[in-house]
Amino acid sequence: MSRELTYEELASLMKSCTGITMDPQRLRDDPQAPLADIGLDSLGLLAIVSELEKRHGVQIDSGPEACKTPGDFVAAVNESLTVGA
Amino acid sequence: MNIPAAERRTVITGLGIIAPNGMGTDAFWKATREGVSVLDRITREGCDGYPLRVAGEVRAFDPGVMVEERFLVQTDRFSHFAMAAADLALQNAQLRTEEMPAHRVGVVTAAGSGGGEFGQRELQRLWGKGPSYVGPYQSIAWFYAASTGQISIRGGFKGPCGVVASDEAGGLDAFAHAARSIRNGADAVVVGATEAPLAPYSMVCQLGYPELSRSEDPERAYLPFTAEACGFVPAEGGAMLVVEEEAAARARGAPVRAVVLGHGATFTRSSRWDRSREGLARAIGAALERSGCAPNEIDVVFADALGTVEADRAEALALADVLGPRAARVPVTAPKAGFGRAYGGAAALDVAAAVLALEHGTVPPTPRVTDVCHDLDLVTCRPRGVELRTALVLSRGLMGSNAALVLRRPEGEI
Repeated sequence: MSRELTYEELASLMKSCTGITMDPQRLRDDPQAPLADIGLDSLGLLAIVSELEKRHGVQIDSGPEACKTPGDFVAAVNESLTVGA
Repeated sequence: MNIPAAERRTVITGLGIIAPNGMGTDAFWKATREGVSVLDRITREGCDGYPLRVAGEVRAFDPGVMVEERFLVQTDRFSHFAMAAADLALQNAQLRTEEMPAHRVGVVTAAGSGGGEFGQRELQRLWGKGPSYVGPYQSIAWFYAASTGQISIRGGFKGPCGVVASDEAGGLDAFAHAARSIRNGADAVVVGATEAPLAPYSMVCQLGYPELSRSEDPERAYLPFTAEACGFVPAEGGAMLVVEEEAAARARGAPVRAVVLGHGATFTRSSRWDRSREGLARAIGAALERSGCAPNEIDVVFADALGTVEADRAEALALADVLGPRAARVPVTAPKAGFGRAYGGAAALDVAAAVLALEHGTVPPTPRVTDVCHDLDLVTCRPRGVELRTALVLSRGLMGSNAALVLRRPEGEI
């Protein structure tokens, strides 16, 4: 099973951690759309990172919570998740 | 508009009410006018088994209907009430904030305890599962300032924002703070207080208050100004209002509901209700002076009505100290006897009730109270129709804050 974060999983985490409903296709279509535009701030990203850390049993210290777009966030998370995979 | 600060008067243009006896102005006023009591045994989850049995719950409130999910996830119930009440107030005022400069709209709330329910859940995760299970929103949701911040973010209001943490009386002090913002240049301020003290941790915190009613009988639990007074019954909910600079409100054709005339506040000390007499009297005196209002101009008093014999006596004597012989003749009421005391939210609800009383020329009764044992003309049993121009709203906090607010019907509408 791939350890990489997908837009589907991100959309699902956005919903469960921050209450924001988002179509994964929209994230995929426009990965550089600012997260601030949908109301997702660094606290929300921190909640998602914390959940991912528990799921994968690893520390994600590549700073994804500071990312401004879904594309950057997914890339930063995957940078940590794929280390040593 | 370049009106000198001293002439920038604050008027109330919208009411947003989330009360145990009704949500929205119409439902609240109907129940309040008729003196309906909704005090009942506490039914909220996890709240049984404590020596606090009776409260005023807002059972009709469905947060998911009134507030977007992303704001619900991040916030406690007290902020859910605040956001919903702010929406109701803005609708009621017909204020199109999206057409106003964002920096001219502010927010002020008062809070007595913050988000206890949210905080309890996160602390249970901390000690039950570990630090990594505490969500990041714990950093903001429990906090006294949460409602002001979330209303500001949600509405895009970038004007002067503030939070008053001064006990129950903060619900009145918030209006003074908002009036100051108006004088200093804001066009509109969303102001008020809501509380959510009916959750296990929050309830345990209240058990230490000797003034808390431990009665199990909803009909006898909160009988202020009577010889059977056995303390106050807590409640959840509160009110948010819209206040505006008078000229700006009139220019947009807004319904001017009442003028915020003057406020006074003092601080005495906790659990010394005999001393609250002087503190409350001085607060009333200051509010009248700032209002340019003589004691005999007060047409109705919305009492603090703490509900212990000692505290009620102090309030009656404070009124006598300032109003003189008028104190025994002016109609006094405590609608909260019918739905409980929502801490800071109680004072905001009294402001809303006072606005509605002035509009309708009706003093709502003090539910369930019949035999008054103080020298006051307490309105009981049924509403009293009377010409009303000026209302005095009082509030005291358990920790020693005392406040008074004077409201008046707008000119030309008497």
